[in-house]
Amino acid sequence: MGGILDKVEMTRRMCPVIFLLDTSGSMAGDVIGRVNAAIEGVLPELQSMNDVNGDAEIKIAIMAFSSGPNWVTGDQLVSPDNLAWNSLDAAGPTAMGAAFRELNNKLSVDKGFMKRASGSVAPVLFLLSDGAPTDDYESGLQKLKNNNWYKVAIRVAIGYGDADDNILAEFTGNTETVLHTNNPEDLKNMIRFVSITSSMVASRKVDPGNSNNNPDDNTAVLADEIEARGGEEAAAKGEISAAKADEAW
Amino acid sequence: MSVQTRLERNQKVRLIDGRTVTVIDKLGEGGQGIVYKVRLDNTGKEKALKWYYVSKLNDPKGFYKHLQDNIESGPPSSAFIWPEQLTEWTNNTFGYIMDLYPSGYVGFSKFITARANFASATAMVDAAINIVKAFEALHNKGYNYQDLNDGNFSINPNDGSVLICDNDNVMGHGGYSGILGKSRYMAPEIVRGEKKPDKLTDRFSLAVVLFILFMGDHPLEGKKTNVPALTSKYEKKFFGEEPVFIYDKNNDSNRPIPGLHRNAIARWKYFPSYVKEAFQQSFSKESLLKGDSNSRLLEAMWIHVLMRLKSSLVKCPHCNSDVFIESDRDMSCPDCKNNIHIIGYIKFPKRANINVCIPIYGGAKLYDYHIVPAEKNSSSCAGIVLEKPGKVGLKNLSKLKWTIKAPDGSSATRDTNEVAVLGKGFTIDFGKGIVGEVMSN
Repeated sequence: MGGILDKVEMTRRMCPVIFLLDTSGSMAGDVIGRVNAAIEGVLPELQSMNDVNGDAEIKIAIMAFSSGPNWVTGDQLVSPDNLAWNSLDAAGPTAMGAAFRELNNKLSVDKGFMKRASGSVAPVLFLLSDGAPTDDYESGLQKLKNNNWYKVAIRVAIGYGDADDNILAEFTGNTETVLHTNNPEDLKNMIRFVSITSSMVASRKVDPGNSNNNPDDNTAVLADEIEARGGEEAAAKGEISAAKADEAW
Repeated sequence: MSVQTRLERNQKVRLIDGRTVTVIDKLGEGGQGIVYKVRLDNTGKEKALKWYYVSKLNDPKGFYKHLQDNIESGPPSSAFIWPEQLTEWTNNTFGYIMDLYPSGYVGFSKFITARANFASATAMVDAAINIVKAFEALHNKGYNYQDLNDGNFSINPNDGSVLICDNDNVMGHGGYSGILGKSRYMAPEIVRGEKKPDKLTDRFSLAVVLFILFMGDHPLEGKKTNVPALTSKYEKKFFGEEPVFIYDKNNDSNRPIPGLHRNAIARWKYFPSYVKEAFQQSFSKESLLKGDSNSRLLEAMWIHVLMRLKSSLVKCPHCNSDVFIESDRDMSCPDCKNNIHIIGYIKFPKRANINVCIPIYGGAKLYDYHIVPAEKNSSSCAGIVLEKPGKVGLKNLSKLKWTIKAPDGSSATRDTNEVAVLGKGFTIDFGKGIVGEVMSN
């Protein structure tokens, strides 16, 4: 670098946003179509957030799980703008336990996603499922619960149709960050709402307030934020979307 | 209680003065609510409407009253996009309208992420001056901002003009909006839980913003703060309990890391000693750990420092790069490393105990600020230093008649567009009571 005005982007921490998407056979057809459309729509919004966030840079990973876990974004976190979205197909059982174990492997600096020279803020862990696990999810979840990244993470889940919301709440550790819908159009809106709201909380675009006693309980911060924005009902509703998330007024 | 957290397109909302607005589009969302573009139904004029997530407000009724008071009292200066009129309570929440941003302004965050940059070094310094002036006006009106951070203002990259938004948390002295501020911008004593936001904590946040504007990195983030996960424990430690300025004079434990804090390392060297010292004072141990009011520069003091910087922008004689030069000493060009010899400076009476001077170097500028007492206008050029072999002069670009006196007792006057030759020990009376003195190095 040289020159009195030359600058690169400020050193920012990483804000990992990790999606675990159930692509079991029951998701096939209309439902997986809505999930694909929702994720595709969210990516540019996350990128716009990155353009104007001086504190943290959102990086994402997407796991599709059915008979086994599959990181569709590869073995590293990626920028939302570098991602060419290939639609997911749905087939097979719901191996949620295997998904939890694989997530646990990746929530690590040495062997996983979490290495960044400038460090990271608490990650977002977003689980979407439409049915009960077909494998031993409990031992996988137990492993995850001992992971320090999991402990500080912003954990949120959407249950669709026959999903067992109690199991999703075991994952989030907070019933208030489990949303549910049976309507495919609502599902698309909800995925957007949850992705954007949790990413805003994680990347410090909202004031965490002082409502909760444990300052590292970021899931509780998200619960407050979901509530403030009108809860499940508002999440399911489409809204006026800005042409660009960072458009000035 | 059912709250309408989001408005629909074409929904009408009633203002308390009876007018109505129609929702056109969403402009953005933040921690406290959503901002919509709306149209005033009586005039067709477009406005912005901030619509609150009411449960995020500690005391919604009190906040509504607070906004009403601020609306009545009016903006501190034209730089503020100030609340203009409240809506009626509608479905258990409310909002207020304000002006839309005029075009040409870019959010400061985009400068931080290098999605935007200044057209010139002068625009960069002017932006800093304009930010400081806005907060001076705010504080002079008895307000404090409470939540000053990178998301609060927009800058025109071409001329450095500034607009301040998100003015709803602005409070009168002693008031508390319920917002402590944004992490990394909050004063350490707030992070430690010792204090609520006030004018003095605003001044800390202001120094952070100015540092980031110039240096492009955070003043407290270096070696010490480089941890894999920024948990609340570390946040409290780095920004509250054990903060260390990355260029602390006496403590090098938190220096920027090469390859990581690239802006700070590259840009610190472009700034003259008095700017570095102003930051070292603002982020001194006393300021960080004791909230010492003497360490934090008043807005007026920053203006004097920044005007000196603005005056000192010249071209390097060796590589022709833009450089900010010292006044009282030689320096090496930050770009080509060659020595730049500065023969002296014109010294003006101190203001707010800050040195006021301009270097005697071809291209250095004098502003109305220097020669007219209490002049606030920082952009009107009143003179320029000229050089030719063996001679330096000061060209009068003001409308005032200058009187120059030499140590031998001789004197002369210079009108607009005339040049005063400068010599050791000369004084210049600029015509409005301010006398400058030629000092040689």
